[in-house]
Amino acid sequence: MDLRGVLRRTAMSRPAVLAVTLPGATELRLEAEAEVRRRGWPVAHAPAAADLLLVCGDPAPEDAEWLDGIERSMPEPALRIVAGERGRIAAALDVAREDLRDRTATRRDSSPPEASGDRRHDHHRMDHGQSDHAAQPGHEEHGHHQPADHQAHMDHMDHMGHDMHAMGEVAGLPMAERGDDRDELRLDQLHVPIGPALSDWPTGLILRLTLQGDVVQVVEVDHLPVPLGPRLPFWGEPWLRAARGEEVTRGSAARRRCAAHLDSAGRLLAVVGWDDAAARCRRLRDEVLPGASREGIGGDLRRMARRIGRSRPLRWSIAGLGELPADRARAAGVTGPSLAADGDAYDRLLMWLSEIERGLEELDDTRPLAPDDLTGPRGRLDGPRPPSRALLDVLPELLTGAEFACARIIVASLDPDLDELALAPVPGVAHA
Amino acid sequence: MPDAEPLWVTVVLPLALAVAAVTAAGFDAVLSGSAERGPAGSVREAGLRALSPLREALRLLVQQPRRTRAADRLLGRLGVLLVPVAAVLAGAVLPWGFRAVSDPSVGIVWFNAMEALAWAAVWMAGWGPNSALSLIGGYRFLAQGLAYELPHMFAITTAALGAESLRVGDVVAAQDGLWFAVWMPAAFVVYLLSALAMAFWGPFEYPVSRDAAGGASAELAGVDRLVFLGGRWLLLVVTAGFSVPLFLGGGHGPLLPGWAWTLIKTAAVLALLVAGRRALPVLRMERYMEVAWMVLVPLTLLQALFVAVVVLNR
Amino acid sequence: MLDDVIFWGLALPAVAAGVMVFRFDSMARATYALLTSLLCVGGEVLLLGLDYLGVVIVLMMTIEMAIMAVFMVMYMMNPAGLMPMTMVHNKKGAAAICAAVFAVLVAGILLAPWPSRRGRPPADPTMDLGLSLMGPQMLTMMTLGLALFATIVATVVLATRRGRYDRFGDDLKARTADDAVRGGMGR
Repeated sequence: MDLRGVLRRTAMSRPAVLAVTLPGATELRLEAEAEVRRRGWPVAHAPAAADLLLVCGDPAPEDAEWLDGIERSMPEPALRIVAGERGRIAAALDVAREDLRDRTATRRDSSPPEASGDRRHDHHRMDHGQSDHAAQPGHEEHGHHQPADHQAHMDHMDHMGHDMHAMGEVAGLPMAERGDDRDELRLDQLHVPIGPALSDWPTGLILRLTLQGDVVQVVEVDHLPVPLGPRLPFWGEPWLRAARGEEVTRGSAARRRCAAHLDSAGRLLAVVGWDDAAARCRRLRDEVLPGASREGIGGDLRRMARRIGRSRPLRWSIAGLGELPADRARAAGVTGPSLAADGDAYDRLLMWLSEIERGLEELDDTRPLAPDDLTGPRGRLDGPRPPSRALLDVLPELLTGAEFACARIIVASLDPDLDELALAPVPGVAHA
Repeated sequence: MPDAEPLWVTVVLPLALAVAAVTAAGFDAVLSGSAERGPAGSVREAGLRALSPLREALRLLVQQPRRTRAADRLLGRLGVLLVPVAAVLAGAVLPWGFRAVSDPSVGIVWFNAMEALAWAAVWMAGWGPNSALSLIGGYRFLAQGLAYELPHMFAITTAALGAESLRVGDVVAAQDGLWFAVWMPAAFVVYLLSALAMAFWGPFEYPVSRDAAGGASAELAGVDRLVFLGGRWLLLVVTAGFSVPLFLGGGHGPLLPGWAWTLIKTAAVLALLVAGRRALPVLRMERYMEVAWMVLVPLTLLQALFVAVVVLNR
Repeated sequence: MLDDVIFWGLALPAVAAGVMVFRFDSMARATYALLTSLLCVGGEVLLLGLDYLGVVIVLMMTIEMAIMAVFMVMYMMNPAGLMPMTMVHNKKGAAAICAAVFAVLVAGILLAPWPSRRGRPPADPTMDLGLSLMGPQMLTMMTLGLALFATIVATVVLATRRGRYDRFGDDLKARTADDAVRGGMGR
């Protein structure tokens, strides 16, 4: 093989992975994250940076469109694989890597890069823009702006100069509109759906934002369809199984709660930009879950919780974001740590940390879990609505007026679990 | 005064900066590797992790660049390219020991001007691809510039004031006995903060941070991404390296030759910045702005006043 | 000879970029075309041997143009100049004014009795510049500086809708300010 081929194969020996999770596939996501980390492959946070799109879960037919959109916005050699079953991810990654290496090594050099890039998706190649990281349906909102409308504006362009703001589409992309900002100035605003493919983002959540600069003006909460099925939501599983009458130890429930909070804390810290602490949280999560003993992991966990809890820059950075006092939380039906925290994003993080430390005692407890104990990591699973539904309901109120970065932090500090939405009539509760 | 340098130095400068950048990135990769996957078990493993920036560079070279629909390619490309160019141009006044590629009489202002080019560069890179998230990233850097630039200017002015010259060579010469970092500690600390800020790296990576899917770099792929993010490391090396002639006595030091001291001091500053980054979240500008203007600006002004009084009474 | 080459090498792009300001249909491109033109002017000033002034032009103009972009987002959020817009208003009037100003300036350049050089250029023009600004003109410069700063502060005070009573309550005793977005000091 020639030198160029060798270099290309070497380059793709560790492809950058963009992992996208579908609702109901939390367990697969954890497995994928651990596997990618074990291999030391770079993790991409945007389609543009990725070589390999790893879809965790079974895509429904209606998911095809936005998944295609993401794949199209990946640079060559873009490859998508779907991991639908547990235990298969390592093998799937191996195959994908070989595929990527072959593809890059055999790429024809004679064709110019753009042409070779367009080879597979002639008419799609450039078909993306402002809403790549989000669900494609975002475009539909602009359906009412007729192209004719746009044309009319274009004709007046010369007379209107800078004041010209066509509300229509250019190059098939929705244009900015005007609206009052918080100082009552009439400024441009942009409709940006952000959603399921973002990293460090609740699985399946879609927010349709109206942004002015980076200030969130209007929020609409939406989500990918959550498959209804026999499968229980992963993070609430032990309590729900105990409620069904199955034998579940207190230890495994404590373990699940601990891992759930580590997962949430890892997400929040990643969004806040403290990569070091986020990485440690995720590593500990992956150790707690399969059953690391209390003695083995307790020290590390306490050290990490103390380090995060004592960080003054972190507190300075996120205190005051997403204030949710207990009375408002209760009125909205929020239960669990977000209610108990009675405060802002920082208080919710501290509440997770303290629940993690408290749970350490029970980690190896083999007594059975009481069937009437239905307090999962995000709140009471026996309420009229799943706890994450209440978290989703408080989002618009908390996000309106926040800046984009703050909005992301607020979402991460509540970390709704959309798998729970499949829970509507809580199984076993009727007769519990 | 140093003589005119031969032409080959201009060729060596970008290469030397790139080597320093790869080394710093390798050190950073080892530290983040131990956070993500636990401490490296063996020297070989640590070495493999340290090589990951090079592996990433190779991967990005193989990856095809991509275009976004209705993009402003002219400005986008220009922005991407301008980041490493600004870093190298700023590096031209960086003394290596006591000699720099060029030592103009207004070297400090030159450095500041080149680093201001990075403002424009990041904004253009964010604006170009026609994507909301990368636009947000581009604008974040402008906010960041407004926050760090004034304290930064006062800090480097203080060093120039102490040497009574804008020539970098004179600033180094003035620190023959006492380093400026010793009697201008506030200016030194503010300079280090702004070094991170102008390289939009570490706690100041707000313009390219994860919450906006990479911000200004969200839509960059392949070579574009390599040039932009690699240019960021070059900027970090140059700005960290410039703290040595400004505050840490340049090539002055016992026993070893000047170039060795410059190297040691630069490595120490870089190591401090890279290791210190592990302890900090990203500083968001809506919070940092108030600190910068209400604490750092008065602080650096007081520092400049103090230095001015000392200089007048010398 | 080399100076001539550099002079024309900077002068032509400066004028060309200046023309492009009015030809581009995107505010971002127009802004950066203007910046290109100004950077070339900074280069010309460097060529005159005025290092400080030249580099300061580069520094100030870059920052200025970058800040102009802040205002751009408020009025046009479409990234990448997606919506083309014309950069010229009142085309005929503007052309007439431009032509007249250009003619006056050229006439001035050609007709002015330029003094011939006496003595030698100073060894350190930066020092001389500083001395002439801060020596005999000290009072003027200080007054000017204060007046400019006072204008900036006054404009901001007049422009903000919210005063300290809105932020800290009627008795000014609130611990942290009540702002739309909380800052890092709470003040």
